[in-house]
Amino acid sequence: MKELVITSLLGIGVLAFDILKLRKFILPLIVVGLLAVVGASIVDWGMNENLFGKNMIIMDNYALGFTSILCLLTLAWILTSTDYFTNEISRTDLYALVLFALCGGYVMCSYTNLVMLFIGIEILSIPMYVLAASNKRDMLSNEAGFKYFFLGALASSILLFGIALVYGATGSFQLDAIKNVLATAGSGTIMTAGILMIFTGFAFKVGIAPFHMWTPDVYQGAPTVITGLMSTMVKGAAFAAFFRLYYLGFTPTLEFTASIFAVLAGLSLIVANVMATIQVNAKRLLAYSSISHAGFMLAAVMTADSMNPRMLMYYVLVYGIASLTSFNVLYHVSKFQNGAEGFDAFKGLVKRNPVMAGAMTLSLLSMAGIPPLAGFMAKYFVISHILERGYTWLVIIMVLTSAVAVYYYLRIIVSMLTPIENAGRIVSTDSNRIGLLVLSIAMVAMFFLAAFV
Amino acid sequence: MLTEYAFWFLSFVAIFSALAMIFSKNPVYSVLSLILTFFAIAGHYFLLNAQFLAAVHIIVYAGAIMVLFLYVIMMLNLNRLEEDKKSTWMKFLSVAAGGLLLFVLLAVVKRTDEITITAQAANSDCGLVENLGKVLYNDYLLPFELASILFLGAMVGAVYLSKKELA
Repeated sequence: MKELVITSLLGIGVLAFDILKLRKFILPLIVVGLLAVVGASIVDWGMNENLFGKNMIIMDNYALGFTSILCLLTLAWILTSTDYFTNEISRTDLYALVLFALCGGYVMCSYTNLVMLFIGIEILSIPMYVLAASNKRDMLSNEAGFKYFFLGALASSILLFGIALVYGATGSFQLDAIKNVLATAGSGTIMTAGILMIFTGFAFKVGIAPFHMWTPDVYQGAPTVITGLMSTMVKGAAFAAFFRLYYLGFTPTLEFTASIFAVLAGLSLIVANVMATIQVNAKRLLAYSSISHAGFMLAAVMTADSMNPRMLMYYVLVYGIASLTSFNVLYHVSKFQNGAEGFDAFKGLVKRNPVMAGAMTLSLLSMAGIPPLAGFMAKYFVISHILERGYTWLVIIMVLTSAVAVYYYLRIIVSMLTPIENAGRIVSTDSNRIGLLVLSIAMVAMFFLAAFV
Repeated sequence: MLTEYAFWFLSFVAIFSALAMIFSKNPVYSVLSLILTFFAIAGHYFLLNAQFLAAVHIIVYAGAIMVLFLYVIMMLNLNRLEEDKKSTWMKFLSVAAGGLLLFVLLAVVKRTDEITITAQAANSDCGLVENLGKVLYNDYLLPFELASILFLGAMVGAVYLSKKELA
């Protein structure tokens, strides 16, 4: 409860501070507030708070873990991209939208009722549609917002239809009640159709092939800083909700849906990695990379009945850090060359800004899964668990596509190392430099902390 | 008996006007047929003894949203919309995709066992305002409150997108 209240009040507080002309204090307020949320989730740890006692939201350890991860990712995102918001006239609106979206993220990782799931997804999505279109003078950003809105609304309606069918079959929105019905009575045809429609809606939201078509366009069109948020906080929240659905509710149905999961995970990995190799735009490449990571996380959801949820948390955090770093560096690099996002834009980055080049290299290698970076452990957890469950063919696809991924990540790294003549330095703010350093250290440190997962 | 006639009549109007909405070339006719569909569905809610839902349905959809639609269409002056040129390939794919969903749903309807709950067993008053309010403020208080964050977020977003940028 505390986490939700603090964050929603923070969103309103940001708007109020703007009206009261206290704009200087907005950033400190957000930092303190988000740290307070992390503190509150530590205090609440293990309490399993059931809000209003109506089984709508239960703040169990799963929810609190994801709440703090989403919160920390958002905090890191805000601190590393402060210079985007100083240039932006309506920055308070954007901050408020991000904070409201974060509230939706909390709901999505703590729901125990399908109504809450839907409301959570909407609270998260609607501010994101606006944020995707937030660069109002850029046609691509407008297009991204429009596309995201339409396809997101379609996905929401399919999801809602699925929820309605599941309600019709079981007579309840509660995850535990649905699980009971599934375990005792099995799933009838209505239930099956409902579950598949919910699955389709989720596949749209998290960008799984073949429902991934919007991802590259929206990720490319939206302002780079916003794309960074979309691929970390939003994706993390969506997978937290997806995993929780199968962890608490639809577990018995995994028997017959696991094959669909496995095929789509394999398809996402193949499509994303093959498409990524032919990209010439770094932002689009990172979008395809996020689809391939969605494939990995889908494989984790597929084994939600036996998997330790902390492995998914670890994956979300590690991928979030890496993706946040890479999008942030891309934003600064392209800002200094009139919005160029090709590989050439990265040329000579080692000389032009060593901190950024280092952070980018670490994040790309982490996403590729090369030890001693945290991305390796994240992929290792998923792969070893999938192997235990006997999906050898999926593991082979994962390993082969990871090898392909190394190729296209290295293309960016090579171009950073390519010297370029008379290029000026890329200046960044102090908070950005410190933020990138902290994120880089985290990428290495998380590798060694993986033993505690 | 009368209820049954009303049901068939309303269903016929709803389906017919929904089809008219899709097939009419003139966007204004489309919107007007959609309003008719909404009224027919609101009539269904009345038959189910859900007066509040019926009233809200008419006020929100037929009242607010459709007026907005009409307004936008008149502002854009889209009275004679040109036939948009979608490739046959795209048309074929969308018909195939929509047809597959229809096929699956029809299969679900066909294979589902007959529902055994009788109409008398269900509480027929659950759609009345008083009962609805009790449920909303007891069991569904949290989603009701959280919806306010959703609307606040949507409102801030709408203001952000529509306000003029001060250079």
